Amino acid sequence: MNYPVWDVAFGAGLLIALVAILHVFVSHFAVGGGLFLVLTERKARHKNDAELLDWLKRHTRFFVLVTVVFGAVSGVGIWFTIGLISPVATSNLIHAYVWGWAIEWIFFFLEITAALLYMYGWDKLEPRLHQWYGWIYFIAAFASMVIINGIITFMLTSGSWPKNYEFWKGFFNPTYFPSLAFRFAIALALAGIYALITTSVQKDSALKTRIVRWSAWWIVPSLAALPLLARWYIHRIPPDVWASASGSAPTPTLYAGMAVFLLIVTFVLALLSLIRPGRIHLAFSLLVALVALGAMGSFEFVRESIRKPYVISNYLYANSLYAKQIQGDGGFNVDAVNSAGILQTAKWIKVRELTAADQATVGREIFRVECESCHTANSYRGLRHYLALRKWDENKIQAMIGGLEFMHNGIMPPFAGTDQERAALAAYVSSIYPVAATAPVAADGKTVFMQNCSMCHRVNASDALFKNLPKDANTASEAMKDLTSLFPLMPDLKLTEQQRMALAQWVNAQRTAHGIEAPMEGGN
Amino acid sequence: MMQPNLIPVLDPNPLPAPYWVFVSLLIITFVLHIVAMNFMLGGAVVALMAKWRAKNRVLGNRVFFDVAKKLPSLLPATITIGVAPLLFVQVLYGRFIYTSSVIMAWPWFLVLIFLTVAYYGFYYVSFRSGQHPGRAGTVMLSSVILIFIIGFLFSNNLTLSQTPSRWGAKYFADPSGWNLNLSEPTLIPRFLHFFVAAVALGGLFLVFVALANWKRDHEYARQVLQFGGKSFLYATMAQFAVGIWFLISLPRGMRMLFMGDSPLATALFLVGLTGGVAAIVLMSGALRNENLRVAAYLVPGIVAVVIACMSVMRDLLRDAYLNPWFNPGQIAEKTQWSVFPLFLVLFVSGVILWLVMLARYGFFGSRKESAQ
Ligand code: HEM
Repeated sequence: MNYPVWDVAFGAGLLIALVAILHVFVSHFAVGGGLFLVLTERKARHKNDAELLDWLKRHTRFFVLVTVVFGAVSGVGIWFTIGLISPVATSNLIHAYVWGWAIEWIFFFLEITAALLYMYGWDKLEPRLHQWYGWIYFIAAFASMVIINGIITFMLTSGSWPKNYEFWKGFFNPTYFPSLAFRFAIALALAGIYALITTSVQKDSALKTRIVRWSAWWIVPSLAALPLLARWYIHRIPPDVWASASGSAPTPTLYAGMAVFLLIVTFVLALLSLIRPGRIHLAFSLLVALVALGAMGSFEFVRESIRKPYVISNYLYANSLYAKQIQGDGGFNVDAVNSAGILQTAKWIKVRELTAADQATVGREIFRVECESCHTANSYRGLRHYLALRKWDENKIQAMIGGLEFMHNGIMPPFAGTDQERAALAAYVSSIYPVAATAPVAADGKTVFMQNCSMCHRVNASDALFKNLPKDANTASEAMKDLTSLFPLMPDLKLTEQQRMALAQWVNAQRTAHGIEAPMEGGN
Repeated sequence: MMQPNLIPVLDPNPLPAPYWVFVSLLIITFVLHIVAMNFMLGGAVVALMAKWRAKNRVLGNRVFFDVAKKLPSLLPATITIGVAPLLFVQVLYGRFIYTSSVIMAWPWFLVLIFLTVAYYGFYYVSFRSGQHPGRAGTVMLSSVILIFIIGFLFSNNLTLSQTPSRWGAKYFADPSGWNLNLSEPTLIPRFLHFFVAAVALGGLFLVFVALANWKRDHEYARQVLQFGGKSFLYATMAQFAVGIWFLISLPRGMRMLFMGDSPLATALFLVGLTGGVAAIVLMSGALRNENLRVAAYLVPGIVAVVIACMSVMRDLLRDAYLNPWFNPGQIAEKTQWSVFPLFLVLFVSGVILWLVMLARYGFFGSRKESAQ
């Protein structure tokens, strides 16, 4: 809203995810693969293994073509893409951390130079000098990871930075070390996984056997260490944030499951490669790489999505509003926008006057500036999909928008703006998947719960609904007539008598099924 | 209906070092970036000219592959060095460059795709040789075209970033990011100015190739010197026409900066012009007398000064464009003393290590190529 929003039909979030996931899959290889090159060269020279050396020379070329070309361009690509999609966050990050990046750039420069000299030096340099370049490469690559890791983890766990704005306080934040260890283990595993690819196209099966076994030393222990490192990592993430990935929010939970599953598959495939190492096939090695890419992508997805609603935790929301008022925020914080209105605050908005006639048009503009950083209408994280599940009419949408910040473990920022603007947004959103106010409503308890309550409530002993809703269905139904009086932040949903009764009975059935205690009659 | 001021507000974080530090870093790293880019793009262009235009086909092919072998190093040099001005331009002018980038988001994003494809194209060509040329010529041409487009997109974005009065109309007409800045009168001459400079530096690059081969293969080196030197000469002559066009296309107030209104801008302009003339005169003399020293040391030295002057002029021009909206004095500053010195130390150490790496490889030895 401070900046124009790039309207990407299929979803800006998808684009950045694509660029970022491909980049990390290559850039981690750039770190681990560097160590792999020097240690393999040392081993080959030590053992006088000419075939191994010869393969390594070709592998170096592959390594450079993948990391120096694609890795570097996609790294620039991340800069381009985040600047396009999150200019406010990028601007904040660049001002707070430009010296970090400038330092990383020094290492990056050394890294690229060393990689090229290592590749071109295979036939020109004497072995010790050649390995010297290899070591410089690896150390520089590792150092750039040491830097960038500080900035990435800062976004997830900003530590005390939002209070003191100190460079190193944000840099060495709670997840800094576990993340570094975790990523380094991934880097080592990827070194072996990529090696399988160039190995698989060799003819000499004895050589293949040697390399596959050697690669397994890189893959298997590293992957085996990941669960432990992950526990350490998760332990350092605030529990309410991690809750999103352990059931409270659907997307991160799904991807956390995927990450674990694909990690196990990668592990098993890596072990399988040891059964007939001399006959490893290109298709197989590509499969391993693909599954590893999926595992890694899922992990990054989890990290990105549990960070929501923030892009910089406890500081800036994903839609570029500051969580709290900060000096110099230009009025782009939730409170200020609530009182001034989004149409008057946002710079890049076309229509500022709200009339009864163009509610939906103006609502579209509000959607663009407040929601499009994560959502689309019809495709990636498309509202049509969600609305089709929930079947909300316009009034209900308007009520629900008032409580975005409670849904799914608080993964969305609150709506910011006046009540009229909220109505306009609701008018637009309901046009994506129109449901008439007179449409028949579901009356079985489970559907009522799913369509109306499950965004914020979960079947769980500590959940306010299951803990506090009176056991007697009539009393419960009576209480649910006016939800806001039960809890002022709940939307005023106006369920029918029939729906309320069905819901109360379903809640009781769930209590029985899950051993959740109902409140004492007359208590409360 | 009036558009309110569309220029984004700054974020709350102060500049982490004094303004002039970032300006200097931006200009220095930009000069390095543009020189690397010139060698790469210009080198590729003259290589193609050699392949297709040289009367002596054997010579042409040899020049072509000699240059082609260097491109997989020159392109990453361009990109890697380019990251630094990319950082610093965001630090100083983020409000302008992010906005213009969003307005032309898809073309801007395409830079990445084009770059990747062009890059692999260069590798393909470098793995070929005169005996097995494959489709080296066609692939090289495709890469050159892509890189030409990338440069053009850069000029689109930078000119758009400096003309906020155009933003609203473009964005609201198409918020999906399919815009360019083609209506900007300076766009074409500005970009051509860069491109023609690239061809000239590509010519100089051949002069360096001649230098590297002078003792090893004198006959070849002499021919390369002539070909490269002439490319430099003609391009630099053409540059006078393009430069005048660029100057005329500027809004009057800005043009006058270089013609007396600003002493600094005028002085730089005069040095630049004089340097350009001197380079032409010296190079044509050097070609006539086959004076390698003048062609490979003196002329490049003068050209380096000219490029530095032009880059500062370019920055002064940006200040003039942004003057109504951008006041460096109003940006809060708070130097991050806990990390800025670390950067300086690492930077100096990095440069030293980098030189040692090149030295140990033999770049500064007598028999090795001198330019990479
Ligand atoms: C190979 C492709 C490239 C070419 C042909 C190229 C060419 C150019 C040209 C012609 C300009 C000046 C535009 C103008 O002022 O009108 C420029 C500026 C710039 N380039 Fe590149 N460039 C390339 C790649 C890159 C890459 C990959 C990066 C970043 C990593 C980059 C970073 C920059 C920056 C930051 C500026 C602006 C500096 C400033 O405004 O002071 N370039 N480039």
